[in-house]
Amino acid sequence: MQTRHLTLYLLVLVLVVGMVIMALGGGLFGQQQFWLLQWQHQALANLCHQIADRSFWIGGQPMAVCSRCLGIYGGLAFGWLLLPFAGFWKINSHRSRLLKKLLIAMAVMNLIDIVGNYGSFWENTLTSRLILGGLLGIAAAVLFSGVFFNRKKESTGKYYGKLTTRGI
Amino acid sequence: MENSQQGESDNSQRDASYQPAPSYWMAVTTAGLIFGIIVFVLSLITSYATINSEPTGSFFSPSQFIGVFACLAGAFGGMLATWHYAREYDNIPIKLGKGALIGFLTGVCITIVSVALSQVWQFVDPDMTQKIIDSTIANMEAMDMPDAQKQQMIDVTVEGIRSNNSMGMQLLWGVPINGILNLITGMIGAKIFGQQEG
Repeated sequence: MQTRHLTLYLLVLVLVVGMVIMALGGGLFGQQQFWLLQWQHQALANLCHQIADRSFWIGGQPMAVCSRCLGIYGGLAFGWLLLPFAGFWKINSHRSRLLKKLLIAMAVMNLIDIVGNYGSFWENTLTSRLILGGLLGIAAAVLFSGVFFNRKKESTGKYYGKLTTRGI
Repeated sequence: MENSQQGESDNSQRDASYQPAPSYWMAVTTAGLIFGIIVFVLSLITSYATINSEPTGSFFSPSQFIGVFACLAGAFGGMLATWHYAREYDNIPIKLGKGALIGFLTGVCITIVSVALSQVWQFVDPDMTQKIIDSTIANMEAMDMPDAQKQQMIDVTVEGIRSNNSMGMQLLWGVPINGILNLITGMIGAKIFGQQEG
């Protein structure tokens, strides 16, 4: 199996897993401080509304992000961990376009869910938000399949495996 | 002798064909400024919506949605910066690592710009943080819960608001968190706006 940008892959893996652990909040570590003042909540305060009713609880305390955000970070981390196993995917422009469309579709689905719930067209749940967020996170990670790990090396061209701005 | 001349000729050819990668700072500062201003304006709207809202006694308010969008918007600065870089220079290889670096620096830039503008706004409306605290307390007073619990909740929330609005805390958490998010969106931007060579 050919590997490329392995340092970048590992760096992002550490950062994303770190974000997930932070998102789980102080309940995981049995922190005694009131949850609004815990460092996890303060670190992620600008990224998520952190409404306790819309978050999963762990150890008697709400997580530091809502269920949708947890899904996004968790999905991204899960998908990123799976990238070495998705290395058999052949990189081609058709598949690349498909994955981009998948990511956009997942983002639009989440947006529709937010608007539909806000407009009282339907009521989403903790689980439905977690799943939709998770699909968005996985779609973002899958976009990089065949980039870091590739078992199907078929070209030795000058720019093989590189992204270029040609034709934009 | 002949070999050394051949070597010099190879070197000069390599030098002639070598072109340094164009600077990404223009893309970083442009996206950082644009998204820094967007984040600042949206957070200002959220703050004044909170100040002017009637106490409902609910934890959840529509202004919270705007606040979250403000920060989510900031996460896409890395993508814009990569797109800008890709648009500016045609037909150059752009590595994922460079997309990540552009994204990270844009995240740092967004945080610095939005925090700096917030500090400037303190001169325009020095009482804004206090007004937010007053409005939040009024909202909590209307909540249906035992008085002791309500008072504890108010104390903690006020402490949280003061802490989150301080420049040190905004920079302490804003730089790494915005940096990481924009690093990821910068990589996604490089993947989306670049063209995979197969």
